[in-house]
Amino acid sequence: MDYSNQYTMTSYGAQGGAGGGGFIPGGSQNSPSGATREYGNETLRPVTIKQVLDAEQKPDSEFSLDGSRITQITLIGQVRNISTQTTNVTYKLDDGTGTLEVKQWIDSDAPTGLDGADSSKPKIVDNAYVRVWGKIKDFNNRRHVGAHVIRPIADYNEISYHLLEATVVHLYFTRGPPDAAAGKGGQGLWRMAPLPNGTSAAARKVYEVLKNSPQSNEGLHMQDIAGRGRMDMAETSVNRY
Amino acid sequence: MQEVTPRVTAPYLETFAHKTVRILGKVIQLRGEQATIDAGGQINIHLNRDAHLTPNHAVEIIGKVQSDLSVRVLTSTDFGANIDFAAAEAVVDATHRYHEIFYPKED
Repeated sequence: MDYSNQYTMTSYGAQGGAGGGGFIPGGSQNSPSGATREYGNETLRPVTIKQVLDAEQKPDSEFSLDGSRITQITLIGQVRNISTQTTNVTYKLDDGTGTLEVKQWIDSDAPTGLDGADSSKPKIVDNAYVRVWGKIKDFNNRRHVGAHVIRPIADYNEISYHLLEATVVHLYFTRGPPDAAAGKGGQGLWRMAPLPNGTSAAARKVYEVLKNSPQSNEGLHMQDIAGRGRMDMAETSVNRY
Repeated sequence: MQEVTPRVTAPYLETFAHKTVRILGKVIQLRGEQATIDAGGQINIHLNRDAHLTPNHAVEIIGKVQSDLSVRVLTSTDFGANIDFAAAEAVVDATHRYHEIFYPKED
């Protein structure tokens, strides 16, 4: 009983190790200046075709957009042309912001479909809208996207959704998060969670202290919290509803 | 076909006269070779042979804005009856507010 209580008190960012769940403890993922350049920070960014065409290519053949490195991208578009070769299918996509070639390699080891056309997959036809997940490639100075997945769009609202999502992410990188004023020096996601209605005054005070104090993996001792919040020790402890 | 077709609604037509644009609107009326759609206001459109519009359905058209602010259809796609026009309007707003990710602006 006592154990579980202490466990939850001290486990911010350390759950991975303790629980054996195998994911990376929170802190390292949030560090803004990531030392690991490579696979540590794979991202999936929603973009418009214009953004793909405008993306800046770095000397190490990485691409960057709004000053941020991009790896995986997702986009939508209307199929303007399909060209099937023996090793790949090239789709010309148009999303209103530009046109782009998207190449999907044919997996000759695929279990179904002798001619590369998997009958279980929904068919992609001319003028259909599709969503693509893939990576930007430059081959002989021709920019295209190497697609991992292409699927037809079933609900056309996904187009509006995607374009708005691409805008939000673009604004995030160019202007910062929407609550930039409140987000100074913050590092945890939990900080953003609003307190539920009916939270006691003492609990709110404790929350405020936790929110505004610098913290390590060990958390804060209740004595410390009481001191910072100018509260009685009894108030900070056992705040069960 | 034009490479870039900015998404617009009726109030933007004047700014985009003689340009090729993309409009998502609701089909109000069909009159043979012409039709009226609603996209932030009514727009008269001139249909082409391949256009198959369904009344009350959403339709996305790519077309050229004429001098009288009607639109000559190049292609049209039926978007069905379940389109969130508020979201579509938000997209048009974002398109022009943050045009750097949607279309090159000529000054």
